Amino acid sequence: MFSFPTVRVSLFFIVIAVGCLLLADLSISAANPWKDLGNFFLGLVTPDFFSYQGLATALLRTLAFAFVGVALGSAVGFLLALAYRWSAVRIFCGTIRAVHELFWALIFLQFFGFHPLTGVLAIAIPYSGIFAKVYSEILDEVDPEPARALPKGTGLISTYLFALLPQCWEQIKTYTAYRLECGLRSSAVLGFVGLPTLGFYLESSFAQGLYSEAGAMLILFYVVIATIPLWLRRQTLPFFLIAAPFCLGEGFPIIWDNVSRFFTEDIIPAPLRHGDGLAGLFDWGADILITEAMPGIWNTLLLTQMALVLTGIIALMTFPLISTQFGRPAGRLGGHVFLVILRSTPEYMLAYILLQVWGPSMLPAVVALALHNGGIIGHLVGRQSSNLSLRADAPRGLNRYGYEIVPRVYRSFLALLFYRWEIIMRETAILGILGIYTLGFFVDSAIQNIQFDRALVLIAITALLNIGIDKLSRVIRRRLALQTLPTC
Amino acid sequence: MTVIALNELSASFNGRRVLGPLSLEVNAGERVALVGKSGAGKSTLLKLAWEHCGPEIALVPQDLGLVPALSVFHNVYMGRVNQRSSWYNALTLLRPFSKDRQAVGTILKRLSIADKQWSPLASLSGGQRQRVAIARAIYQGAGTLIADEPVSALDGPLADKVMALLNEHFNSYLIALHDVDLALRYCDRIVGVADGMIALDEPSSRLSKADILPLY
Amino acid sequence: MLRSLTLHCLLVLTFVFPFSASTLADTFVFTAIPDEDETRLVERFQGVADYLSEQLDVDVRYIPVKSYAAAVTAFRNNQVQLAWFGGLSGVQARRLVPGSEALAQGLEDQAFETYFIAHRNTGLSESDALQEDLRDRTFTFGSKGSTSGRLMPEHFVREHFEAAPEEVFSRVGFSGNHTRTLRLVEAGTFEVGALNFQVWEKELADGNIDTEAVSVIWRTPSYPDYQWTVRGDVDERFGAGFKDRVRQALLDLDDPELLASFPRTRFIPAENADYEPIRVVAEQIGILD
Repeated sequence: MFSFPTVRVSLFFIVIAVGCLLLADLSISAANPWKDLGNFFLGLVTPDFFSYQGLATALLRTLAFAFVGVALGSAVGFLLALAYRWSAVRIFCGTIRAVHELFWALIFLQFFGFHPLTGVLAIAIPYSGIFAKVYSEILDEVDPEPARALPKGTGLISTYLFALLPQCWEQIKTYTAYRLECGLRSSAVLGFVGLPTLGFYLESSFAQGLYSEAGAMLILFYVVIATIPLWLRRQTLPFFLIAAPFCLGEGFPIIWDNVSRFFTEDIIPAPLRHGDGLAGLFDWGADILITEAMPGIWNTLLLTQMALVLTGIIALMTFPLISTQFGRPAGRLGGHVFLVILRSTPEYMLAYILLQVWGPSMLPAVVALALHNGGIIGHLVGRQSSNLSLRADAPRGLNRYGYEIVPRVYRSFLALLFYRWEIIMRETAILGILGIYTLGFFVDSAIQNIQFDRALVLIAITALLNIGIDKLSRVIRRRLALQTLPTC
Repeated sequence: MTVIALNELSASFNGRRVLGPLSLEVNAGERVALVGKSGAGKSTLLKLAWEHCGPEIALVPQDLGLVPALSVFHNVYMGRVNQRSSWYNALTLLRPFSKDRQAVGTILKRLSIADKQWSPLASLSGGQRQRVAIARAIYQGAGTLIADEPVSALDGPLADKVMALLNEHFNSYLIALHDVDLALRYCDRIVGVADGMIALDEPSSRLSKADILPLY
Repeated sequence: MLRSLTLHCLLVLTFVFPFSASTLADTFVFTAIPDEDETRLVERFQGVADYLSEQLDVDVRYIPVKSYAAAVTAFRNNQVQLAWFGGLSGVQARRLVPGSEALAQGLEDQAFETYFIAHRNTGLSESDALQEDLRDRTFTFGSKGSTSGRLMPEHFVREHFEAAPEEVFSRVGFSGNHTRTLRLVEAGTFEVGALNFQVWEKELADGNIDTEAVSVIWRTPSYPDYQWTVRGDVDERFGAGFKDRVRQALLDLDDPELLASFPRTRFIPAENADYEPIRVVAEQIGILD
């Protein structure tokens, strides 16, 4: 068993996670954690759709921000993909996608304020970085022969139009539609920092314990995501794209002085602004590094490693729920619904809910991250396992699971898990905004104290950490020869 | 005037020389067949020849270079994308202009696949695809052609018909053919390739099937 | 086919419906720090908006925000011209917007207090000073940018224990607002918390507190807190004397229901210098550069 590199790597990560468990604060501090959780589920089954009349508008804004943000991101991302072979473009894309949507939103809020552009750019910028990477990977896979067979002197645009794009159009379409689903989640979560999307009202309802109201919003959100294939068609898409920009709401006009002030004053490190010179800058930087960045990085890493392993465990436990190799059709339907709920609920929302009911520690964050990501991986692995054909006399039940199925899907399972490593870390950092001491906590504190110079330094550190993990994950995947399609 | 000229060229693959060094010229008005057993270096030679040609040349590569996701029409239309502006091409992708439809339709009719003009390429058989690639080369309107086994998937009468059509549209070409009879019947000159070198280069009028078979 | 048609119609309706825009250019916009449950804030400040609109004869609009910093930033960016700030957020805002002024404060805001509250399981009872027993308890502030929920309690904790809260308590949280601090301590999620005394008194009067579960253990010395702050450039935009009219309107506010929702007895004039003590404390703690 231990001679398999995949098994050795898995064990190595499990050992690290167990080490983290010993160091991390995982207590449940709430006096009645299960009662609150019970109340929440009671709210989910007794949704109140009519208590809040702004619900329709919130849903509309959520859709509009997602559509405009993803459309803009995919257009810019496509152009970047064409230039992706230049390392400057690759580094640029890597950097913009290493910064989470919520951080982008927090940055833009400082100078665009509540203008719709804040929400649109918060989605479009990181998404264009992701689109650029994935589109370029898709384009690289395209059969180059048709382009070579074109008559000499064919222009670049015509070459793309005729020989390259048609070959990967389906993949680009599928991936972009999939990203739109991610965009809906991002858009909803932006409400938590004040944009007029679903998260805004969800946060208010949760904070006030109005679980039936929150339940109604969540259910509507699930329905919207689950029915995407019904309403998002080739015929309806142009309509949505044209209508979406008009449905962003008007917000408040942009005042350009604020923009220039942000870039020329706010983000200049305080010691330079106050003329304390390089010595002051050094003290300032050292202070951020020691009192905020280091503890932030430490907690972010602890949380990420625990969440990563628990994600794997949950994925391995849940994928049989939808696999045709196990169970009955009726049971599988239940499994599908369960996994749809897990993966449609943004981890930020899950963490928020669990923090409310269990009290503040790393536990709610670990569980939230693992449930969401485990749901995504479980869904993909389950689908893959359904395509396996076993010999007619293959064992059943647990033996089938252990001897036939898991060994066959383990490599792609690991590939997906390592792919999500960086995503989990990006989210971990963000969860700090909710009060767990990861990097996001210190970013949020700096913003609450109107110290954008500090916030930006911390965001940059977070981005570097993400880029580092992304590289490491790629090295591991290459060593183990694991391949996967992108997920979000 | 030469339309194809290779001068002391060679090709290597993974550090191993697979072709040449060799020289080969095809003059305007010359129809040349390239024969030899598979692996002798014909395809490599054709690739080199294509790379060293001017722009006025059509190509039917071995794997045809078709786009499965597009219709037959658009695959054929691609023969002229270099002669049209980008916006014209983009519009054609959405809705073809009628004069292009007619021109492409005429060629497809000659190749007996007129009924397939709007079918997606992916739904065609191997022989039909081969004819689409040939149609694309013809539609390009160049005087010279380089083709790698363009009729390998066609049955006897159809192969004859297509070769006749090629002779009609191209006054000079370099075509790899495994069918020696076809080569002798339609080409003016036979070039035999063995182990990456030219082993035979004679006008076909001076050759018989028996002269060529030792190459195989 | 029919289904997709109905779907289309529904979508068209939902998209067209919200197009009942109002122009913002000549609207007087204000915000408030989100120190309490949002529903309550919206009710209270919608009332204020209606009142001001009537008094000032311009469109007045209230926008809710998600954080104290967002309120300060909106004020700084001139997306709102007036704000109901806490002591600290007011000082931050006025530092960032030269020319802005504290206009009015509640009668109670001259001498505001923070209550430290504890869950009954701690066994703590009310005393005249911070107790040694607080060490290694779990503790929650309100919002990070709150005066009565964070700045002043942190100040008194530092003063008494001569250490940062993180070193005194076993766990330090930021609940987000005063109501939530109350709920979290009441539920036992945190053992001890610090909150705005007005919120406590109001919730107590409304019968919303389980006094069996939570009680006050210490009342801080008093300090200045909430105030209305206005931007210096409103006269240019809304006409000469506008600032004074806003101040007068606030001082004249006598709707008992509206005042009770704050809860304040009435509003009295305020000036920037009133909040000097807050600035000093904020600088000591390092919240202000």
